[in-house]
Amino acid sequence: MQHLDHDRLVYLALGESEAANGESTHLDTCEHCRAELTALQQVAGLGAETQGLADLPDPPEHIWQGIAAEISAAQALPSLTGAPRQQTVDQPLSGTSAERQVSGPTPERPINEPTERSVSEPTAERSVSGTTAGPEVPGAGSHWSEGRSSGRSRARRRGWSRWAATAVTAAAAAAVGVVGTVSVLRPDDPPPDPTPAVVAQAPLAAYGSTPPTATGDARVLDGGQLHLHVANLPSVPGYYEVWLINPTTMQMFSVGTLGGGSDALLPLPPNVDLSAYSVVDVSAEQYDNKPAHSGDSLLRGTLTG
Amino acid sequence: MTAPPQNPDPPVDDVALRFREGDEAALREAYDRYGRAVLHLATSMLANRADAEDVTQATFVAAWLGRDTFDPSKGSLIGWLLGIGRRKVIDRMRASARETRVVETVRQLPEPAQTGPDPDRVVDRLVIADELARLPDDQRRMLELAFYDDLTHQQIAAVTGVPLGTVKSHIRRGMASLKRRWEVDGAAPGPRPAGLSGAR
Repeated sequence: MQHLDHDRLVYLALGESEAANGESTHLDTCEHCRAELTALQQVAGLGAETQGLADLPDPPEHIWQGIAAEISAAQALPSLTGAPRQQTVDQPLSGTSAERQVSGPTPERPINEPTERSVSEPTAERSVSGTTAGPEVPGAGSHWSEGRSSGRSRARRRGWSRWAATAVTAAAAAAVGVVGTVSVLRPDDPPPDPTPAVVAQAPLAAYGSTPPTATGDARVLDGGQLHLHVANLPSVPGYYEVWLINPTTMQMFSVGTLGGGSDALLPLPPNVDLSAYSVVDVSAEQYDNKPAHSGDSLLRGTLTG
Repeated sequence: MTAPPQNPDPPVDDVALRFREGDEAALREAYDRYGRAVLHLATSMLANRADAEDVTQATFVAAWLGRDTFDPSKGSLIGWLLGIGRRKVIDRMRASARETRVVETVRQLPEPAQTGPDPDRVVDRLVIADELARLPDDQRRMLELAFYDDLTHQQIAAVTGVPLGTVKSHIRRGMASLKRRWEVDGAAPGPRPAGLSGAR
């Protein structure tokens, strides 16, 4: 039997008519027609669920205000969110300039008037207070740079200029490529050469009930990598995962996992704000397919420049 | 969601292209058209209204800053925006669960079960609604009668006074458009004839 006529499939999908004997037999054996019918049924089901969606209410104006303000800030500022704190100015600065932050005080809201022509009401106050500091996960699941979404972090965000965003994304991509091959160093391997400047570091100490002999060091390297050195971690049934935590909000995101060695080099998202996400945390995770922090922290330390 | 239905054959939409080129007016137009869909997606999934608004805001900011990655040839602007929004919603849900989990660790509470509708389904629904709004008036009207009022083609012909053959052809063409759009812009991963949009 030939494939079912497409019109017939539409009618069957809409319940307009029943499949005749021959049609049923064909559908039982023909993957193509069956898939087509299934797809049309799905579409019909979705279509039935669209009632009311044509009349959705407009979003409140303050959302637009927030978008405009955030974008203005992101585009107006020449420096980077991924840059570490100001104490790094005494570090030797070499390499490309794209990843340097600009020194000096950063105005909190440098762009008072969003550039969008349609911003009509000055509701900036609402747009800041109305956006809860959300648990944004920098870099997670998105491969482009983005501004931070929360009002609180917006106040201290250092924005991206477009060229810088492009440059750093490319640099981060390159870094990921390299790190992919050397992410877990042999225990006695020397650090990568040439040694990048350390722009922030944190001694890691045993946390909670972890035996106090567990220790470590975290170093943020110029170029956006986190170098972890750990020692005497208790053995765990699963694996170790590295997190950056914002101690104010307890928002966090995963930086990566530790292999069996005592050193690991993990790429940081290019737009991470280390002044906010200042706590380095090493947790014990189970192979439980749950992406969230287990709550079982082994080591912690706070980054300082 | 807001494509004016009185325009039976919409001209080629250049908002997506202008958006990609960095035209700020196109950002506003995109927001005016699709902001409510993104907000609907977020409010459908997130219990907290402020979170939903935050996700909506973050979606448009991320879309704008990442507009270089938008490929209009691979899908519609709204499909791409909803893809971003969906990811941000999921990030937000995970982060909330994570926070809750950390806070509750002492009590060893299990991770809260994910409730609410499937985000993919909400995205699919919004994509279909958008395409429905773009269909020529007659096609849209016939499909709405079939979808919402569950009328048979015969009944639709009777209600509208349109000949049965015409009703059938409108519905057939409308369904084809919806299906095509769903295959390009729909959220669910997995094999579909038209492949996936590049937005996710």
